[in-house]
Amino acid sequence: MITESISKYSYINKSIPRIDSTDKVGGYLLYLTDLKLENALYAYTFRSKVAHGKINAIYTEDAEKVNGVKAVLTYKDIPAMNGYGAIVPEIPVLAYDKVRYYGEPLALVAAETQEAALEALSMIKADITPLPVIHSIDEALDENAPKIHDKGNIARHTVVRKGDVEKARSSAYIVLERSYETPMQKHMFLEPEGGVAFVDEEGAINVLAGGQTPYRDRIQISRVLGIPPEKIRVKNTPTGGAFGGKDDITVQIHLALLAYKTKRPVKLVWSREESGIAGFHRTASKIKLRTSVDRDGSLLSNEATIYLDSGAYQSFGPTILDVSIETINGPYRIPNYVIDANLVYTNNGIASAFRGFGAPESNFAIESMMNELADELKLDPIDLRLKNILKTGEVGPFNNEIRHAEGLEEALKRAKELFYRPDPTGPFQRTGVGIAVSVKGVGFGTLPEFPSAAIEIAPEGRVSIMFSNVDYGQGINTGNAQLVAEKLQIPLSQINVLHSDTKFAPDTGGSSASRSTFNAGNALLLACEKALSELKMEAASYFMTKSDVITYKDGYFYFKDKTVSIYELAKRLRFKGKSTRFEATLEVPRYTEAVEGTLEVPHMVYMYGVIITKVEIDELLGKIKPREVDFIADIGNVINPAIAAGQIEGGIIQGLGYSLIEELNYDKDGKPLNINYTTYVVPVITDSPLINVEFIKSYEELGPFGAKGVGEVSIIPVGASVADAVTDAIGKRNYKLPLLPWRII
Amino acid sequence: MEVNVSFNLNGKKVSVTAPPAKSLLRVLREDLGITSVKPGCEAGECGACSVLLDGQVVTSCLVMISQVDGKNVITVEGLQKDGELDPLQKSFIDEGATQCGYCTPGFIISAKGLLNENPNPTDEEILEGVSGNICRCGAYPRIFNAIKKVVKKNVI
Repeated sequence: MITESISKYSYINKSIPRIDSTDKVGGYLLYLTDLKLENALYAYTFRSKVAHGKINAIYTEDAEKVNGVKAVLTYKDIPAMNGYGAIVPEIPVLAYDKVRYYGEPLALVAAETQEAALEALSMIKADITPLPVIHSIDEALDENAPKIHDKGNIARHTVVRKGDVEKARSSAYIVLERSYETPMQKHMFLEPEGGVAFVDEEGAINVLAGGQTPYRDRIQISRVLGIPPEKIRVKNTPTGGAFGGKDDITVQIHLALLAYKTKRPVKLVWSREESGIAGFHRTASKIKLRTSVDRDGSLLSNEATIYLDSGAYQSFGPTILDVSIETINGPYRIPNYVIDANLVYTNNGIASAFRGFGAPESNFAIESMMNELADELKLDPIDLRLKNILKTGEVGPFNNEIRHAEGLEEALKRAKELFYRPDPTGPFQRTGVGIAVSVKGVGFGTLPEFPSAAIEIAPEGRVSIMFSNVDYGQGINTGNAQLVAEKLQIPLSQINVLHSDTKFAPDTGGSSASRSTFNAGNALLLACEKALSELKMEAASYFMTKSDVITYKDGYFYFKDKTVSIYELAKRLRFKGKSTRFEATLEVPRYTEAVEGTLEVPHMVYMYGVIITKVEIDELLGKIKPREVDFIADIGNVINPAIAAGQIEGGIIQGLGYSLIEELNYDKDGKPLNINYTTYVVPVITDSPLINVEFIKSYEELGPFGAKGVGEVSIIPVGASVADAVTDAIGKRNYKLPLLPWRII
Repeated sequence: MEVNVSFNLNGKKVSVTAPPAKSLLRVLREDLGITSVKPGCEAGECGACSVLLDGQVVTSCLVMISQVDGKNVITVEGLQKDGELDPLQKSFIDEGATQCGYCTPGFIISAKGLLNENPNPTDEEILEGVSGNICRCGAYPRIFNAIKKVVKKNVI
């Protein structure tokens, strides 16, 4: 395990407090929904009260007449393309022919005062002929079901296979066939979607709104407005929580459109209820598995049918489906498999990215299956996994060579010491222990990525680091500053972070897929190397010698008894009219060919984790209390142990919510039922168990100073481990999350 | 109709003219430039807008400005003394108890209110004391540790 005391590094492996934490505890950090622009208009969204219907007309005349109203926009006012969506731009910016979910935006209002805007909003009328509502995957698949889109209710269908499952199954010792279900989960970040927009003195449209991927936001805005991306600036930081729910567009295009049309500053912030109605959520899943195993516990085959509920449109649905495909075999050696994967349209809002991105859904199925197979085989569940995990150098199920899987083996062996059933705390209480393994790729798999990052050395004694990934709480600011401090061997206090703003930072991509540290960190280290090589030549000029006899240490270049600092050299470069900004682009290591039938499978670098959950169940109430959770993680070298552990703890707590209490529901008319914190209950501090996080000593050569990624690894296996612990306590298996009391008794 | 309300905000007397039912949260944010109070729900559910009203923790979104006349309001901006952070604020930094930070001011105010009333709370009392605040990043274990550490110091 990693301990700080034995680390050979100066700034990494160190639990340095977040660099923005003083502003956060002081209350001074201005989130983008806190911004108050002079002369700003108040903006609101007019939404459909019909979940599925044909739009006949939208009447805005009365609204336009309200005193103080500056704009009432419908689809007719969209300058170029009326569509967005991270993968397929099929989501209307403002609906035009049909509405496909309750709350779909139909019009935008901007006015001088809040009162005028709300009055105008109340005067807009929509004439919509309702169509039958599709509530679930099953209903969507019915052959008589109304079509949500012209092409039907299947957004994507693909089959991936290897080997001969029939043959493998026919010789198997045990074949289990089970169906699993997971719910729609809401992100419920504390800061609702929102921000401001304005046109600056150069005519550029500035959109400052909570988000995760500024450059993709910019492209999506550009397509809708029909103006070049260079004329648009997007800033996404600080953001008060995201978890995937701000990765695709929320308010950004609406804001840009209003600022563009009115030429006035605009503020648009969704209310909590609006966030509940129109914000994204996690795909619900229905997964069928038929898995076969040999007498000695070797997995022989896995047949999976995956259905994910994409809601009314595809946002990240196609790639979420890919991750569910990639993780349905777990980290296991499975020589024969067939994966039939389907992304399905319903009228349930819009599903999009949510921490784990298809992996928690698949993990609940395969890890529950592993636990049940262990039971059937009368094998220890850890031994069953040790027998089947892929080892370093083996070829994985998707023809990928497995890198660094030894961490998973070590984690499983450590888990043996922690895997025991605790004693009940009193009468009518039962206890249980459960286990699951987590695996997820870091980044976009086979999809090409070329993140750029920059550093600028200011003669005044500061190094600015620039990248576009967003810090929405995961600590990427601090982690990247630590990486640069380590590389340049300069104090952290000399580093200034400029990020997630297209005005300053090059395109490093966004914060998602647990890849910000890997991509931005690596690109920043390349930029540092470029800077050091350039500065070394300037040092050679200063020392009147050749660059190859000069050494570097702690921010200074050395030649014989002479020294010069990087800042002094930056001054010389500036004096000569040269730039002191150094930018570099990383070619993210990847397999170039996706497995047939997929978009991005497989990944090259995987994070691993083993979770042990201990629960106590009240026999009378059926209430499940998670008492203790152990998580043993292989996330590569750990840049900041406290921040990484905080990420893991947070993911576990979100995962416990997902496993035990959280479930977004819609009524018969397709209206969401739980849209605020009273009706959609999330864990509070009294629900939080004792959490023990341990890191396996690990080093991934492809990552910055050996790091992989961390954000998603812990939420993924929580569901299966909790369900397993409940089985241990009550003797009955459950196949559907969340494990509400009336489902388990 | 608007009312004129005067109250003490972080040790300074302030006066505002506002509709009587306007929430203290909105007055603080829109009229007085105090943005540490966050409108996470505006329904008293999330605790992100918590302030101390005459020493009591309240969600400022549920307090009408007309109820505040002549009272004392403390937000997290008012916890610093002579530029020094409050021990709770320092402890939140040291323990890594912030992630996105949006809930942080509300948690610190709730913890402050708890410790003002009960300087030596048990673990259960600490948990209960901040159970009205939501942290969706799930920094709970570290928030607990941060408060607990301040309590321990008080005891010693």
